[in-house]
Amino acid sequence: MRLAHKLRESLAGFPPLALWVLFAFAVVGVLGPYIVPHDPLKQNLLAAGQGFGWDHWLGTDHLGRDTFSRLITSARTSLVGITLVMAIALVIGLGLGTLAGYHRGWVDEVIMRVTDVGLAMPSLIIALAMIGIFGTGYWNMIIALALAWWPAFARVSRAVATTVMNKPHIEALRVMGASPLRIYFGHLLPATTGSVLVYATADAGGLALSIATLSFLGLGVQPPTPEWGQMLVDSLPYLESDPRQVILPGLALTLVVVAFNFLGESLALNRVPRPLPAKLLRLRRDEAAGWSALAKGVKA
Amino acid sequence: MLRFVFGRARNAAVLLVLASMLCFGLVVSAPGNVAVLVAELRTPGATFAQIAVIEEELGLNDPLPIRYANWLSGVTEGDFGISYKTGADVGDAMAGRLSVTATLLAGAAGFAVLLSLGLGFLGALRPYGVVDTLTRAVALVGASTPTFFLGAMLIYGFALSLGWFPTFGFGDGLRSWILPWISLGMLPGCVLSRIVRVGLEEEMTRPFALTARAKGLTRNVILFRDALPNIAPAYLNALGAQATAMTVGSVVIEPLFAWPGVGALFLQGVQFRDFMVVQAGLLIFISFFILLNLAVDIAVMFLDPKLRRQGGH
Repeated sequence: MRLAHKLRESLAGFPPLALWVLFAFAVVGVLGPYIVPHDPLKQNLLAAGQGFGWDHWLGTDHLGRDTFSRLITSARTSLVGITLVMAIALVIGLGLGTLAGYHRGWVDEVIMRVTDVGLAMPSLIIALAMIGIFGTGYWNMIIALALAWWPAFARVSRAVATTVMNKPHIEALRVMGASPLRIYFGHLLPATTGSVLVYATADAGGLALSIATLSFLGLGVQPPTPEWGQMLVDSLPYLESDPRQVILPGLALTLVVVAFNFLGESLALNRVPRPLPAKLLRLRRDEAAGWSALAKGVKA
Repeated sequence: MLRFVFGRARNAAVLLVLASMLCFGLVVSAPGNVAVLVAELRTPGATFAQIAVIEEELGLNDPLPIRYANWLSGVTEGDFGISYKTGADVGDAMAGRLSVTATLLAGAAGFAVLLSLGLGFLGALRPYGVVDTLTRAVALVGASTPTFFLGAMLIYGFALSLGWFPTFGFGDGLRSWILPWISLGMLPGCVLSRIVRVGLEEEMTRPFALTARAKGLTRNVILFRDALPNIAPAYLNALGAQATAMTVGSVVIEPLFAWPGVGALFLQGVQFRDFMVVQAGLLIFISFFILLNLAVDIAVMFLDPKLRRQGGH
């Protein structure tokens, strides 16, 4: 309950449009199979390549599958993928990050050096290499992405955990004789989790992109499971005759990523103190303009 | 100053060794027996005796440190071993493809720099105006569009519909390079434009800008003459990070435009689990990242007077 409240509190002040898009994404993702008008996997070559219409709202692809239903099902695939990767990466990242923030000293050093090496390399190249060694497949993609993603979470968790550890109530707990386990699980972990969750939400855009990219390359979600990147590569050979089937999944994916990134941008703006608010800036500018006008007046 | 360069170079060397260990470790930990693959490649239906001979020949029975040393000494001479799928020499295949990937990266980076400076300055000239809001929206959408989607749209728009550029290929010179450059450079360019825009605004709020205004310089002059050099270090750092991202993007763009580059070969290696190709590709990519970071660090030091003076002591 406290966690939910904290999440809602931290979401206040974010662009409502982005939040609504993401809300719709989540709803469609969860309810997907119950609201699709057609079976997303059912092929019907007689109805292949249709345009927009009453029966198939957004048309059909080259195998006669209903595009609208496939787009909706893709949202679910993407959402489930993001959630799984996030869950695994968050458990590793939060665990190591809070441990480093709690202990400091050499534990901190070791964990952060490993994290630094992980952060120095682009996550997609790590995921690609792991898939290349251990083979393609849905679960290999999930695990590879999670292993590529945790360093970012570890870094944030550590930063949050160190500020929490410096707060007076932790010191008071120590003086009271609270056990390390109580401080860690009762105070440090809950306080860190909320902020890191918000950060993770904003970071999910990059994850959605990575899942789609890997699927586009044929290394992630395998056909016939609908996924935006995989739908796109599936219809790419028919780009000239039927561009709609390439554009629609691309647009859906872009919309979700834009929403995530919009959220992330405002998050960065909220967290990092801006040099000066717009109003103050304008005031200063006017002042400067006034002075230069005055200078001109003196000259004349 | 020299000490700074040496320090950074030493760090980079340590990272290179770590990266080589990682690449070696990945292939060693791969499931399955490499000798079986090689034996099948030479004689289909190989016997256990033949496999044992090959195990000995490849040095698979040696202790790990010795195998690592042998492999590393080969790599430093450009010998990445042979592909376990095709039997081709991996080092030769990579070397022939480097120039293609270099063309792609250089062009895309050039486009990204032009785009970011253009968008960033357009926004900074009239902050919080209509143009600023527009460039911000363009940057947000551009930074969120998947590379492969943008590439497909560019092919549809400019190659298939308008016929200005070829749909794929590398050989036709500049005409066939433009679309891949734009596809790959768009996302980094948009990300960098925000760095330019925010950095410039930050500089303009500093006291020296007010002083310059008071002395009668116009805002635009301060923007170009004083603010631009000040954001150069931050910009270069971000450019380095984006160049890394673009290198990864080559894995997507090269197959899309059928360019015979390192990224395309790496992707083939990943798709067919060709360990030696994956290993070589990964090592080349990571070494490039490390050297790039080193170059950025040194360039930033030369550009930033504060760091330059610290390094001198």
